[in-house]
Amino acid sequence: MNFFFSFLVLAEIFAVLALSTNLLLGVVGIFSVAQAAIMGIGAYTFAGLAIAGIPMPIALIAAIVLCGIINVIASLPSLRLAGDYFIITSFGIQLVATAVFINWSDVTGGATGLSGIPIVEIFGQKFVRAGPFLILSSIALGVVSLSFWLLMRAPYGRLLHAIRQDEIAVVAAGHRVLLAKVGVSAVSGMYAGVAGALYAAYIAFIDPASFDIHVSILAVTMVVVGGARTLAGSILGPLLLLAIPQLLALIDIPSTVVGPVRQLTYGALLIAFMLWRPQGIAGKSL
Amino acid sequence: MLYIQLLVDGLVTGCAVGLVALSFSYFYATTGIFHVAHAGIYTLSGYIALHFVKLGLPFVAALAIAIAVAAGVGAFIQVTLYARLEKRGASPLVKMIASIGVLTVLQNIVALTFTPNILQFDLPWRISLVHVFGIGLSIPQLILLIVSPLILFAMLAFSRWTPLGKRIRAVASNPELAETTQLHPERIFIYVIAIASGLVAVPAVLVGVDQAMQPYTSLLVLLTAIIAIIPGGIGSMGGAFVMSILLAVIQSVSVMLVSGRWSIALVFAVFIVFILWRPEGLFRRNFNRQI
Repeated sequence: MNFFFSFLVLAEIFAVLALSTNLLLGVVGIFSVAQAAIMGIGAYTFAGLAIAGIPMPIALIAAIVLCGIINVIASLPSLRLAGDYFIITSFGIQLVATAVFINWSDVTGGATGLSGIPIVEIFGQKFVRAGPFLILSSIALGVVSLSFWLLMRAPYGRLLHAIRQDEIAVVAAGHRVLLAKVGVSAVSGMYAGVAGALYAAYIAFIDPASFDIHVSILAVTMVVVGGARTLAGSILGPLLLLAIPQLLALIDIPSTVVGPVRQLTYGALLIAFMLWRPQGIAGKSL
Repeated sequence: MLYIQLLVDGLVTGCAVGLVALSFSYFYATTGIFHVAHAGIYTLSGYIALHFVKLGLPFVAALAIAIAVAAGVGAFIQVTLYARLEKRGASPLVKMIASIGVLTVLQNIVALTFTPNILQFDLPWRISLVHVFGIGLSIPQLILLIVSPLILFAMLAFSRWTPLGKRIRAVASNPELAETTQLHPERIFIYVIAIASGLVAVPAVLVGVDQAMQPYTSLLVLLTAIIAIIPGGIGSMGGAFVMSILLAVIQSVSVMLVSGRWSIALVFAVFIVFILWRPEGLFRRNFNRQI
């Protein structure tokens, strides 16, 4: 049972990350392959502060705020650059972040990562095992999902959809596109911060490989497979994609090929969905 | 002396990256597809050559096979994926995500067939040094230095004077007009991707021989190349090539000032600042493609 709970906790953490990616990629149409980097910043902030003995709620808030700010900075080039240029910038941000995680060893522990992240404790209750932690991650996903759902229904959400469809028309209608984009980047970054803090608290160990380009591409795959722009899509995607490694564990294949086989499946899924179902399982067309 | 050695190292790397940049730029400027899978073809062709060298074929034959396979795989991607997506009116974003999928598939096929570990060519001559004006160069480095400019000039001549080269330029500059004048853009795209993929096999194999190979490193090479393409001006093969060399030399010499492990981060950081300051590149060109 613990095995299954652990899968659910991870799926929920990645659902939060998928929602972060979905806001940018699906809703406003800013392509991003750097959301894992932002999540990593959240995880390192939370872990560093928690190890230093700072109370966890404060560490969580610090991670969320910092990620919001950094995601706005990371998305700023997209305000000035047309599509393809920003893609490269986004890849670049991810690579720079990974380089920082690896090389700034005084803070991040370098390639070996940070371990010994303290156990979450609320009112004397320790959240060590997957079962109790599932409550925490479910609350987090619930709050994030609710905010996403409300955001999509608010006039602000409609403005975001309009920006994706025809930015010039939105400007002509007198709306402030810049402000809307900065706002949505901040929210997306905050989601990634939540995902990072949850990840660090749950796994209790983080290293640069946990937040590299493959994880960012995985987040994009989750959004694409689940379906862009919808809440259901961002929750379905992580559940399905994270189930693949679990299924692979059932088949008897050598452990050295598990990684490549998993990646291969993700890549094939990306191609298949783009060819035959670009709207994903429960989404709208990209 | 150390400076000169670093300069030459940068020059060699720049030549390899330059070929990647040139080939990516050729396909990108013609089709507008952000062909991330180009990095996958880079990985694949290096390993193909490794495989045939291991089977006992002479190096030149292995290189030729790698080029042919790369061209074939490229054409296959165009026919089975990009052309279909185009027919369905897919957005550039959808094409690029599919391309990321192809990259992932190619890299992991290589990782499954050849293991994800670092592999080296079993060629005795690959580490023997040649001294030119007191600078030590390995034979693959020397080949890269000589062959890369030749390829650049061959491509420029091809594009300028041959009928196919002219047709490609025509399609690139106005696809709709090319369609109506029976130039068959969709057929041209197959030629372009085959040429680009065949070209990228050359640096892939030579760098693989010179250093070593790993399945997942090629994306970084491609991104470095793309970073050079933008200030060089998209669609300009010469610009992409020269900028690649310039960037590689700067990166190589910068080791004297900053620690080498930071140099990649530094290049990307400089690029991000540059692109914000001058998005149209150093040499202004009219190329605006929205995604």
